Amino acid sequence: MEIRPILNALLRNKIGPLLIALQIALTLAIVTNSAFIIKERSDYVALPSGLDEANTIIAVTTDFGINLDSKQLLQDDLNHINAMPGVVAAFVSHSIPVSGSGNGQSYAPERDTPSNETISFGNFSGDERALEALDLELVAGRNFRPEEISWRTLDEDPPRKAVLVSQALADALFPDKNAVGQLVWEDRTTPEPSEIIGVYDHMQNAWPSSSFVNRTSIQPFRDISSQDRHFIVRTHPGERDQVLTALEEYFSAERGRMVALIRTFEEQKQRTYSDDIAMVKLLTGVVIILTVITALGIVGLAWFSVTQRRKQIGTRRALGATRLDIMRHFMLENWLITTIGLVLGVVGALALNWFMDTQYQTGRMPLFYLPIGVIMLWLLGQLAVLAPARRAAGIPPALATRSV
Amino acid sequence: MFSYYLKLALKSVRRTPILSALMVMALGLGIGAFMTTFTVYYLMSGDPIPHKSDQLYAVQLDNWDPNSPPTQSAKDIQPQLTYVDAEYLMHAATPASNQAAMYRTGAIVEPEGDDQAPFDGNTRATYHSFFAMFDVPFLYGKPWDMQADDRRERVVVLSRAMNQELFGGENSVGRSVKMNETAFRVIGVMDDWRPTPRFYHVDSGGVFSDAEDFYIPLKAATDLVLQPRGNVNCWLPPDGPGLEAFLRSECVWLQFWAELSDEHEASEYKQFLDNYVRSQKDIGRFPRPLATFISPVMDWLDIQEVVSRDNRVLVRVAFLFLLVCVLNTVGLLLAKFLGKGPEIALRRAMGASKNDVFSQNLVEVCAIGILGGVLGIGLAWLGLQLIEKLYRGYQHLVYLDGGMLLTALALAVTSSILAGVYPVWRVARLTPAGFLKTQ
Repeated sequence: MEIRPILNALLRNKIGPLLIALQIALTLAIVTNSAFIIKERSDYVALPSGLDEANTIIAVTTDFGINLDSKQLLQDDLNHINAMPGVVAAFVSHSIPVSGSGNGQSYAPERDTPSNETISFGNFSGDERALEALDLELVAGRNFRPEEISWRTLDEDPPRKAVLVSQALADALFPDKNAVGQLVWEDRTTPEPSEIIGVYDHMQNAWPSSSFVNRTSIQPFRDISSQDRHFIVRTHPGERDQVLTALEEYFSAERGRMVALIRTFEEQKQRTYSDDIAMVKLLTGVVIILTVITALGIVGLAWFSVTQRRKQIGTRRALGATRLDIMRHFMLENWLITTIGLVLGVVGALALNWFMDTQYQTGRMPLFYLPIGVIMLWLLGQLAVLAPARRAAGIPPALATRSV
Repeated sequence: MFSYYLKLALKSVRRTPILSALMVMALGLGIGAFMTTFTVYYLMSGDPIPHKSDQLYAVQLDNWDPNSPPTQSAKDIQPQLTYVDAEYLMHAATPASNQAAMYRTGAIVEPEGDDQAPFDGNTRATYHSFFAMFDVPFLYGKPWDMQADDRRERVVVLSRAMNQELFGGENSVGRSVKMNETAFRVIGVMDDWRPTPRFYHVDSGGVFSDAEDFYIPLKAATDLVLQPRGNVNCWLPPDGPGLEAFLRSECVWLQFWAELSDEHEASEYKQFLDNYVRSQKDIGRFPRPLATFISPVMDWLDIQEVVSRDNRVLVRVAFLFLLVCVLNTVGLLLAKFLGKGPEIALRRAMGASKNDVFSQNLVEVCAIGILGGVLGIGLAWLGLQLIEKLYRGYQHLVYLDGGMLLTALALAVTSSILAGVYPVWRVARLTPAGFLKTQ
């Protein structure tokens, strides 16, 4: 179509279109970069923990009574909770996956491995019910036997003879061989190595942002060296909330201990990732509001330019231009302006991403965000200009004859 | 004259309500978004103890694994000390006028009376010098003294809020609080004290939340085996189970602060630390090349990256967002003023000078700016409520103080003037004749 007259018209009144183009450019830069961060964070939050997330409850209790027999109490607790209706399996650990605070250790495949070559992981104390309570699949080897479970107290830290490791930890320790049956050393001060007796599929450690998030190990002991007990309780589908209420009641019946927290695993996950979830929500808000504002800006300016050119439009209609011609004129004009803005915007988006990445390590944005952003803003521009263009098309040719 | 211009402005705003509303809304949203993120940034990066932040230094000693990467700056090493080193420094004759080792812990507190449930009391175990060094204000009583530290006395300083909760706010000095079934005697009650960020213990455990409610002598805390609630990092695990082994281990878990009144004292202190580490090397500790650091409060907050990267990203994004809103307003103002061409031409023909027209329209622009600013402040307030909901432990980062309110208004008027100058100038330059003919 006739681009030249549109260009001429544009060049006669440069500043308005330039403003729109700049707005489009900034919008593209912000929207693509925000979308990239939103996608990264959403993916990160959605990483599976390995647990039966919808049907798991976590509870932390604190023993404070001086005359409390912590060992007996814990044994009673575990027997009671495992027998509760609705419970699949429950065990006590010294940390909770994805909770943000836990225990870390490192294993070495050889006794004399230098400390910078050992493999870091998150460790979890557990017993023979841990795999079932955590909903983990044994891919090789065997589970703990009840007689292998020891007690860690303030004065005693029995060696861990048998351990379970995640597939990721097994691969990191023994890339070329079957990990089951291999020996690992916790550190140079332990006299005895541990034997890997089984490998389970996948469980995240306590710190989702750590570089070794998928490396975990379950070790066969119950920890009563501190006051806190971390219970992990898996329930049958649909019975989580009843079990949670029953647990609350059960725990608070004992004087001399208190419930520090009890919540669903889903809630814990929301808390752990709250910063990332907040970032996703805030940036999504920015993208939406920004898009609306840019669209309204286009509508406003196009509306104005239609008002200004009423007479020219009338004249063109009188000279034989159809309604469609007039509409096409405004649509095409907008498309041209938008395109200029988008060219600037692509450069701006790359520059913004470079700045964000070097300053705040947000990562390099994959290039496919740009064409998607470009197409969406083209569509947005065309949609926004639709109403003013229709109004222009509605201007009667008779207008040309009036008031000249 | 001004009130006449104002009247004209309001009239003009009313004549094009949709366009004006659009401008006010765009400005308001831009300013609201920017002020929300900027307020959080401003409060996060604030000086928690302005009158002496340059005299308080965080202490770091590089006791780490000889195999880990070399230390280049204070960022590369552990932010905490071992018990052995903290104890040594506490009892050595150092050049510092005040020093305190400390850690965060917790104890189960049982309030008097059977109807109140026990709760987990947020506790800081430290030395008597903590209070003098950080200028903690007291409502009742006073801090414990050096003897209390040495004698491992079971005394406690309460926060004002905790004193309110436990004792209804009355002077509770001399009364007893049961912590982990052990009686602690109240020796003092703090007045409101809320350093933001809580600079003396910067880890993931809520740098922006309230300070602790209970303060007890560190030795009394270790006597009760109150375990640290913050990070504990060990490159070598303790050589056995139990408290004793943990205390003599290379595990770092104590924050350590020193008050040094001038540069000279600071360099002497640094020298002292270096000499200490050298002497420890002789007995086989500190296997890495000598590295000690002392960092004043604001440097420390920077080193520990207290202002989150996410917040910095959001401030930048919100600024660009504001820029789009301003560009939007320029466009809309241009449209609006050029639409007023005939009216302005009439004014010019009746004798108004270019300057008159210019100032008349500028008043209108400012009026829009102020409206946008007010809307922006309202939106920023809402935005901060949202931030408080979305993030945990941000409750002290979500208020607008007088300074921030003024900033918001100034920003609004500046952006609207920036947005308005070109359209106003442009319209003042219109030649009246062209418009008058067509009327």
